[in-house]
Amino acid sequence: MKVPVSWLRECADLPGSATVADIAARMAGVGFEVAAIDGEVIDFEITANRPDCLSVRGLAREAATAYAVQGARGPEVQGARSPEVQGAVPVTIESPLCGRYALALADVTVGPSPGWLADRLTACGIRPINTIVDITNYVLIEMGHPMHAFDGARLAGPAIVVRQARAGERLTTLDGQARVLDASMLVIADRDDAVAIAGVMGGAASEVSPTTTRIALESAWFQPATVRATSKRLGLKTEASTRFERGADINAAVAAIERALSLLEQIGAGQRAGGTTDVYPAPVAPTVVPLRPDRLARLLGDQVPAADVERILGSLGFTVARDDHGWQVTVPTARVDVAREADLIEEVGRHWGVNRVPATFPSLRSTPRPSDAGVMRARRLRRLLCGAGLQEAVTFTFMEHAAAAPFVTDPATLVRIANPLSEKFAVLRPSLIPGLLDSLIYNRRRGLDDVRLFEAGAVFSLSGEGQRVGWVLCGARDVHWSVRAESVDLFDALGIAEVAADAWGLTLATQPADDTPWFVQGRSAALLREAARGQPPTRVGTAGQLPADLTHARGLPAGVVVVAGELDLAAFAGDGTAPRRVSPLPRFPSVVRDLSLLVDVRLQAASVRATIRQRAPATLVGVREFDRYQGKGVPDGQVSLSVRLTFRDTGRTLTDTEVDQAIGAIVTALQMDHGAVVRRRSIED
Amino acid sequence: MNAPSTPPSIAELQHQFQTTLDAARTPADLKALRDQFLSRKHGLVTALVKSIATASSEEKRTLGAGANTLKQQIEAALDARDVEVLAAAPPKDALDATLPGRRPRLGRRHPLTQVRERVEDIFLAMGYQVIEGPELEDDWHNFEALNMPAEHPARDMQDTLYLSAPVAVPDGGRAATLLRTHTSGMQIRYMEQHDPPVRIIAPGRVYRRDNFDATHTPMFTQIEGLVVDEGISLGDLRGTLNGFAEQFFGSRVATRFRPSFFPYTEPSAELDVECQGCGGTGCPLCKHTGWIEILGCGMVHPAVFEAVGYDADRYTGFAFGAGIERLALRLYGVDDIRTFYENDLRFLEQVAL
Repeated sequence: MKVPVSWLRECADLPGSATVADIAARMAGVGFEVAAIDGEVIDFEITANRPDCLSVRGLAREAATAYAVQGARGPEVQGARSPEVQGAVPVTIESPLCGRYALALADVTVGPSPGWLADRLTACGIRPINTIVDITNYVLIEMGHPMHAFDGARLAGPAIVVRQARAGERLTTLDGQARVLDASMLVIADRDDAVAIAGVMGGAASEVSPTTTRIALESAWFQPATVRATSKRLGLKTEASTRFERGADINAAVAAIERALSLLEQIGAGQRAGGTTDVYPAPVAPTVVPLRPDRLARLLGDQVPAADVERILGSLGFTVARDDHGWQVTVPTARVDVAREADLIEEVGRHWGVNRVPATFPSLRSTPRPSDAGVMRARRLRRLLCGAGLQEAVTFTFMEHAAAAPFVTDPATLVRIANPLSEKFAVLRPSLIPGLLDSLIYNRRRGLDDVRLFEAGAVFSLSGEGQRVGWVLCGARDVHWSVRAESVDLFDALGIAEVAADAWGLTLATQPADDTPWFVQGRSAALLREAARGQPPTRVGTAGQLPADLTHARGLPAGVVVVAGELDLAAFAGDGTAPRRVSPLPRFPSVVRDLSLLVDVRLQAASVRATIRQRAPATLVGVREFDRYQGKGVPDGQVSLSVRLTFRDTGRTLTDTEVDQAIGAIVTALQMDHGAVVRRRSIED
Repeated sequence: MNAPSTPPSIAELQHQFQTTLDAARTPADLKALRDQFLSRKHGLVTALVKSIATASSEEKRTLGAGANTLKQQIEAALDARDVEVLAAAPPKDALDATLPGRRPRLGRRHPLTQVRERVEDIFLAMGYQVIEGPELEDDWHNFEALNMPAEHPARDMQDTLYLSAPVAVPDGGRAATLLRTHTSGMQIRYMEQHDPPVRIIAPGRVYRRDNFDATHTPMFTQIEGLVVDEGISLGDLRGTLNGFAEQFFGSRVATRFRPSFFPYTEPSAELDVECQGCGGTGCPLCKHTGWIEILGCGMVHPAVFEAVGYDADRYTGFAFGAGIERLALRLYGVDDIRTFYENDLRFLEQVAL
């Protein structure tokens, strides 16, 4: 809202010494933020609750109160009582969405406005058009009440009707657009057709033109919600709709007409023709809101002297009467934002000065409740993964369909946004990997070869949102002058999952995944969490290598291996800091045996491990693969797999003989179950 | 070499060892010496021990004890000499210590995470609990209960992204229809489940149908705060947020509150801090005002308490909401908000570990 300070000074006795910048700062201090200052014109940002300040008069009240001076002079607003005037034009209101409709006729000569008027409008950012339009705009800026002037000769008489639009009814508005209306919209109609969209914009057919000699001047009040809904549906926002949808002063309607007619005479552009029609079925009286001094003091945390309370509220246009409990405050109908005590306390607080209220600190009266486990879990996980050499990324929750679709088996399960800003932000991510992949590629394209990113956050499907952590890696596993650079592979992606699980005391098992088309077949794994005894393991994530066609489609040159993984955080109960019981340290030495086995290349290490565990005595405390070799000395189709077995007893030292017997039984089982051949067995001495 | 029919005596071996040890100068000499005396296969001491097997039981005891002592003496002497020789002669092939070390990889937390945790930590120390909630919301929690009924003009302040179809929520509550436009819905979710007193902060992602440019992103991060108890005042809000600003920006930062409007607080205000760019004298960063707006706040609107079933006469409270990106822009001296979402390692690797 642009206002020249000279106009404000006309309405309020602001100190002569106050500069434009002073006034702007003072107004910002009472809640009217300043967007810009241009010469003597201040552009105020008016919050949505203050339609009364979309006017010079409203701002002048605020400025006068802020400076504690007399102010808010201007045209008087009539009270709730409707003046008993009969006009030449009968008006019928058919919809309760119109609370008041006033109309006056005037004989006019349409021409350019005098310079002072045109200049003021220009300063306020409004283009002068002609005397009639300019006068309605002037009153709009001055009083905040929207009006509309019809060319009286172009209305099909004899009556005006305020009614719902008919479905499919058409109207070409002043901006030249042909609009199709629907029954939810309110229109002003003459005998035949709609001539204006109520509170939004007039029709082109009845527009005031240079040849107009008689005007019908409308000043009305429409229900805010209907104006807003219509304006949104039509995509048409105007100075009028902005004020009506926030709430115009229903009791200012006739005063606005009177002001417009007097301006018309003042500039010699015409005079009224007959009386003013005013249809106001249910006059609105100002409300009375009680204000209790103790409540005021309690909410602000400050004692504002009664005299200041009364001065501030009185200056803002409230009528303040004392009673036994405090004050009874009459709220002018222009103040649509003030309905209850807290609203009045805000008025006092704004002008008393928020920054004058003593700063205190609320006392803790009970033990703080613990934070959500999920928040603390994510915190720990982030630190853990950073320590594991991954960089945290933050990617958008929404993405283009093409980025997300490869990461679901059925694209119909993607959650779509109904009104995306662009197709780039059309669906919600089903997985963290696509966003991370795009970020990885962003870095590759800028010459950064080794990229390892992770992100923890929400993913979405039609069945709801879930929390995951995901990671993507490419480039060299080790970067140092002493080693030859080798690309990361599936096992780097798996290792991240193992570290994360370990931090929560979970054991992860892996198995080949056949339902993850976004990973290369034979280079992917399902991550399973060992469940309670007797229960099957639950799937908590996946890891694998991304296929070249997928990465290429996102912009990565061929030949770069990208591996990725993802874990469902629901599997990670608690924040991971719950104390775990520890086992006592072993009191007796352990015996270690290495076995090198020749097995079928397709045999999974997990099967070998399972056979070993099954056949070993309880003294087997560890099985770990430490070498896997194919090539010279190993027949085609076979692989040499080396495992290290650790045996220990809690109550005594094991003898070589019993460990040898255990190894013998294990070897036999491996031969029987898997046709394994022992290449070498080591004996620790 | 033929084994002598009679092995040398303990004393002879001891003498022989001492003589050779005195002559040993290099690690190789010492290794040869160790082999000569202690090798499992042909060591002189080993041979002596083996020869004891044929001795009488009386001799066995004396010889056995003597041989064992000799063995221990030789081992100890060789160990000591090893250390002397190694310490005296540094390795010939000196390493080029100016080459970079073998450094374990370390990632960094994203700057937005760092700022978020910095804010969380300040409030955790003030006795707040950190809570989180869904990013997909229903109209009730995002608008209605926050005193923004349908067609409320304030809804324009937050242009909303809607879902094409409602999405189920786990607890069987209202199906989600939109992406939350602010974290303020967490006030409602928390108060629906808990009685006062309340002292929470709720960080999280929020979404608006905003342009994507240097100062706007359709997704950003907010952190919401809410305190409800008997007798909570605007003064408490001032004290709390001044304390926060001091800890976040440094102890000498000036602050000011400016009245503003949010439908769910009354009175409402915005908190400005002195511009870090110019120290309050005015610069392009602060649009020459000397102040930077960092958050919105206010006293909880009684209609919000009524929506969650709190006694609005008994309890009062304050709420605030800050944009993490906005704080991060100031803290890191970044001028384009998109920088935070590009994940350019050249940017991310500049922040503290």
